[in-house]
This record gives sequence, C-alpha cells and structure tokens, in this order.
Amino acid sequence: MKEEATKELLYKMADDQLILGHRNSEWTGFGPLLEEDIAFSSMAQDKLGHSLALYQLLNQMGEEPPDTVAFMREASNFHNCIFTELPNGEYDFSLVRHFLFDAAEIVRFEMLRESSFVPLAELAAKITGELRYHNLHAKTWIRQLGSATEESILRLQQSLTFSLPYALGIFETSPFEEALMSEKIFAGEQALKARWMEKIEETLKPTELRLPSLDNIHPVYGGRLGKHSEHLQPLLDEMSEVFKIDPTAEW
Amino acid sequence: MKSLDPRVTRLPSPDSSEKEESALAQFGPFEVFVQPNPKKPFQHEGAVHAPNLEMAFVLAKEAFTRRFTCTSLYVVDTSRVFVSAMSEGQQNAFDLIPQTTSPASSEKKSFEIYLLQKRGKQSIHAGQLIATSPEDAMWNARQQFNKGTQVFQVWAIATEDIRFTADDENDLWQTLPEKKFRDASDYKGGDKLKEFLERSNRL
Repeated sequence: MKEEATKELLYKMADDQLILGHRNSEWTGFGPLLEEDIAFSSMAQDKLGHSLALYQLLNQMGEEPPDTVAFMREASNFHNCIFTELPNGEYDFSLVRHFLFDAAEIVRFEMLRESSFVPLAELAAKITGELRYHNLHAKTWIRQLGSATEESILRLQQSLTFSLPYALGIFETSPFEEALMSEKIFAGEQALKARWMEKIEETLKPTELRLPSLDNIHPVYGGRLGKHSEHLQPLLDEMSEVFKIDPTAEW
Repeated sequence: MKSLDPRVTRLPSPDSSEKEESALAQFGPFEVFVQPNPKKPFQHEGAVHAPNLEMAFVLAKEAFTRRFTCTSLYVVDTSRVFVSAMSEGQQNAFDLIPQTTSPASSEKKSFEIYLLQKRGKQSIHAGQLIATSPEDAMWNARQQFNKGTQVFQVWAIATEDIRFTADDENDLWQTLPEKKFRDASDYKGGDKLKEFLERSNRL
C-alpha cells in the first residue's frame, strides 16, 4: 500500500512536470520578447528536468525507465491534471497557468522536504532555487501586467477566471490520500490547496486582479485518474514522434 | 569618434541629463552585472530590455546566467550608468576625467566603480567609493583606482540604484553546475561521427 501510494504521487507529479514543460516549450521562438522567450524556455527545460528526476525515482522502485514511461504510454495512463495539458492559447493564459501551477508546485515541494520518503525529500531540497525563480518570474509578471494597462488587466482577469476550475483540478483527491498522510510521505492535497490559496492571494493583492470566490467554482477533475481532455493525446503524439521512429536509438 | 555599437552609444556621459529614447526598443535598457564565483569581482555581462528594474532582474537571470557558474547578479537602469570618455591610443581614461568641485553641503552616497581594462572585454568591478555626484565619483575614482596602467573607460553607478540579489535568493543558481546539457562541451558529436564512419567503412 505504501509503495503503491508513493508511486501514484510520483507519477502525478512527474506527469504534471512533463506535460506542462512540453506545453511551455512550445513558446520557444514565439515568446512576446526575446528575454521572456529565453526565460520561459529555460523554465520549461527545468520542468522536464524535474519530471526526469521523478521518473528516475520511479525507475528505482521498479517502474520502466524514464524514456519508456515518458514516450510510450497512452493518454489514459497519464496522471497529470487537465490544467497542464490545455493548449497554450494567448500568452496571458500561459502566464496565468504558469503563475497558478508553479505556486502549487513550490508549496508541494516545500511540504515534501519533510517527507518520510527520503529520496523525494532530497530532490525537493535540491530544486528549491529553480522553483523559487519560477515563482519570482511568475509573480513579477503578474504584478506588472496585473496593474499595467486596461488591456493587460482585462486579459489576465479573463484568463484567471477561465483557469481557476482547472487549477483546482491540481488538488484532486488521490485514492491514496490517507496512506500518504499516515505514512508522512505527503501532508495531502487539501493542506496544499490551503497554502496555495494564501500564496496566490498574496501575489494578487497589490494588483487590479480579483480572485473570484472559489465556493461556486466546479473543479475540473479526472486527470489524476487518466480521464483527460481531447488535448492530451495530440500532445503525446507530437512529443513522442521522433522517439517512436526508433526507441532503441541513442542520442 | 561616434561609435556604432549600441552598447556604447546608449550609455549617457555624466553631463547628459536627458534620457534618450530608442525608437526600436519596446522597453528601456538595463545593464546586467554578474559574479561568476565568490572569489571573482562582478563584471558587466550585457543588457536586457524590461519595463522596470524588478522585471529586468528576473529576465537577466535567464538571459545571462544559464550556462556558466554564477553566485550573484545585479541590474541597473542603463541611464543610471555614468561613463567617462573612452580613451584613444595610449591614453589612460583616468587622465581624461576632469576635476569637479562639489559644494561642501552636498549629501554623499556610495558608488560602484567599473573599469574597462581591455578593449572588447567586459568592464570589471574595481571597488566602491563615496561621492556627492557621478562626476565627483569619477574624479574620486581617478584618485583611488588609477594604478597608472591604461584603462579605456570608467563607469560609476550609485549603489542605491542597483537591484541586487537578496541574501535569500542565492539559491537561484544552486543546480546550475549540473546543467551541463546547456553547454556545447556536453555533446560529444565527434566520437559519434567517428564511430559512424568506422561502421560505414566496414560495410
């Protein structure tokens, strides 16, 4: 039970990182300004690095090697939340997703620094600086554009309102929630969500953006159980296209 | 001589008060300074365009510290970097700095002094001094940092204008030494090509 619970946690975290990392990398060469293009691409690369580290932990627990799990699974075997697989759209949506997701990500890893599963606690400590930069980047942009012009405020507000049901899907309850908490592997999605709320409210406070009441929002769940939107399979097909030509090739 | 290099022409001389707007730039420029390791001084690394100082810091981090080791970074609005005349031939830029007289009542503040010691290289941090104005900082630099060896240009930046890396931000570069995949040296294309050629010769 304990091992199964740990694996489920690792898979959903790794899949979030891989899928969002891939989505964000689609901005490479198309960013709104050169410096931002570089920064966003770099953070996308960090996310792929995080997914690799997590797949390696799974591999040490007897799962298939990282390339196999990343490139050879069908959409229904992925555990990422639906939020991460949505197409990029305009930059305002990508930025809001980066802000909402990465705030949850840094809190999750902060919590995992206390994990009884030592390899995960060590990884969480190791990547602190990267997560901190991702959050500094997101917060600075949100603060800047969230109080800049009528258009920037309106566009961010629309993306924020659109994103929230999906963002709440990050915290979909795991079938192993109790086991993860009692074994002190992870303090649970609800605790994470509460700390995430505080964090995003703190960033939004000095801006013109308003966080709608979460009580009336219906979270978009399903991703953690492999029930995805129509957007995931095309992403996987494209991501694994080259790998599948010759899975044994060395790069 | 009027330089065509935008990195040179965009820097104001101490007596220019007007900030020049570049027609091509979406946002104003900021200068980026990097400390490669704790034992080395800060050096000028380049410029980023950004809407403000904080955004410049955020964007500079990835634009200039992706590959090599880094322990700290700071940024300053380009219009706040004061530069001496550029020296020609065997001239020492220090010798071109005019003496200034500052009113005794003027408030003193700290300035960072950068020296261009080789043409085509980066300006390197030489030290800090106290002065009443950028002009005064230049003159003081001439007294304090002129070792007689030729320098090509002197920069003075008020310390208070700088967005430094905060103490608790030092872990931003924690995993950088591991990211060898961002460096060309990590890709041993030559070995693979040799192997491929040997294999094709055997066929």
